[in-house]
Amino acid sequence: MNPMLWGVGTSDYGLQPEKRVEQLCWTAIAEAVADAGITPADIDAIIVGSVFGPPGVATRVQRGIGLPGVPMWTVENACASGTSAYHEAVEAVRSGRFGCVLVLGVDQMSTLFSGAIVPEATDPEGASSLPLPGLYALGAQRYVQEFGVTPEQLAAVAVKNKRNGLDNPRAQLRKAAPTIEEVLSSRMIAEPLTFLQCCPTSDGAGAVIVGGERGREGDLRIEASAMVSGALWDHRSDDVWGYASVARAAEQAYAQAERTPSEIDVMEVHDAFTIGEIVTLEALGVAPRGKGAELAPSGHTARDGVQPVNPSGGLLSRGHPLGGTGTAQIAEIAWQLRGRAGARQVARHRVGMVETMGGGAAGMDGNACVVTILSRP
Amino acid sequence: MALGEGRPTKRRPGSAVGGLPVADSRPVFDGDAVVGVRCTVCRYPVAQNGIPWCPSCYGTVEPARFATTGAAWTSTVVGIPVGERRPPFGLAYLDLDDGPRVLVHLVEPAILRTGERLRITGTDAGDLVAEVTA
Ligand SMILES: [Zn+2]
Repeated sequence: MNPMLWGVGTSDYGLQPEKRVEQLCWTAIAEAVADAGITPADIDAIIVGSVFGPPGVATRVQRGIGLPGVPMWTVENACASGTSAYHEAVEAVRSGRFGCVLVLGVDQMSTLFSGAIVPEATDPEGASSLPLPGLYALGAQRYVQEFGVTPEQLAAVAVKNKRNGLDNPRAQLRKAAPTIEEVLSSRMIAEPLTFLQCCPTSDGAGAVIVGGERGREGDLRIEASAMVSGALWDHRSDDVWGYASVARAAEQAYAQAERTPSEIDVMEVHDAFTIGEIVTLEALGVAPRGKGAELAPSGHTARDGVQPVNPSGGLLSRGHPLGGTGTAQIAEIAWQLRGRAGARQVARHRVGMVETMGGGAAGMDGNACVVTILSRP
Repeated sequence: MALGEGRPTKRRPGSAVGGLPVADSRPVFDGDAVVGVRCTVCRYPVAQNGIPWCPSCYGTVEPARFATTGAAWTSTVVGIPVGERRPPFGLAYLDLDDGPRVLVHLVEPAILRTGERLRITGTDAGDLVAEVTA
């Protein structure tokens, strides 16, 4: 069965500790079910992507929507949890295991922790107080020295995405977009990354309905979905952390879709930090290695550019509800491809791509990466 | 909420910051060397102990002692508190001579030149600490 995207839905993104985590999910699911034109009884299986759960959240969500007994499971692949759940749904439909799968991505970060960042103590680098912005900063600093990437080039990514986010009514950050100078003069988090180059953590959920071909208006073809786990990242690696895992997933996705990077009209990629978008676009083949930092300043990736990247505002603007991020990216691409993205709509919108990369385990080039390519039939 | 203030962490913070103790997974420095394992087939070096085989070729591994000197691969200066660490503090990936890449704290927080020579001088609360050598 050729897998198709039938419907999408999301909650708002932001700090919403007053809401039940299930409420975020029900909002997203209700929108996705209506968007897909199905009834709840059409759903054959539920796959949930979440990092921090809480444990049992999937069942509490299931109770509220009245889908007892269907196969259901939860996937944890760090920031790529939501898209990993989606990938399993795509493969399940492709193989004929299920006819219609509900994918749910969710995390509610605001109710979890307080105080300074404390990385995972069981990880060798986490135990040594390497925060995630520090890991990205180590890559960014390498790029500064190896390729001459400038602070202004890094900041341009934040300016672009935060400006895009102004038109996203569900984004966490919707105030005025900063200037390059404001990005660079914000607090230094880890050199060279300043505060406004880091995504805010967020609460949010997204739902995606995946099924087979049925000839319905608005359904989108899932041309490719590739999921890879991490590989050794060590003294032999000349690429910065994360690059290789994205490149592996991208290679598989382009091969499945029989497409080249220049054929992608619009994309949502994992810009948890400004350097993340730059390295990712190189790994996706949008720019040669060392040239990714030129894409935002040149306007190539602007909303009215040749290949708009993160028209939603990305993680830098929408916020990052870990498991909820991948499903948010897929929802944006679905709206863009159907021409229903309102003020955010890009001009060319036949082929779209989503990339999500999750990491945090020392010595590996990522925990997992998912790349999917969708198109308007 | 600002980064570093009231921010999410992970499930197991460790005893240093008020959680329950967890087994230490960091590279071990015994005063003269970084202690780990090396593959008897392909010589792949790992600064971890207790692994069942070479992660690169699946060959048999044996205990190994790695040099304390090497070249900086990249570095950063962290400007926010992390766990018990107070800013600013310097971190670098250090490619040990004929050894693995390890994360080290810097005696003097600074951005290093790629390839700058470093030497591990000891540990601080269990973290490897390195300084620039002339
Ligand atoms: Zn080996």
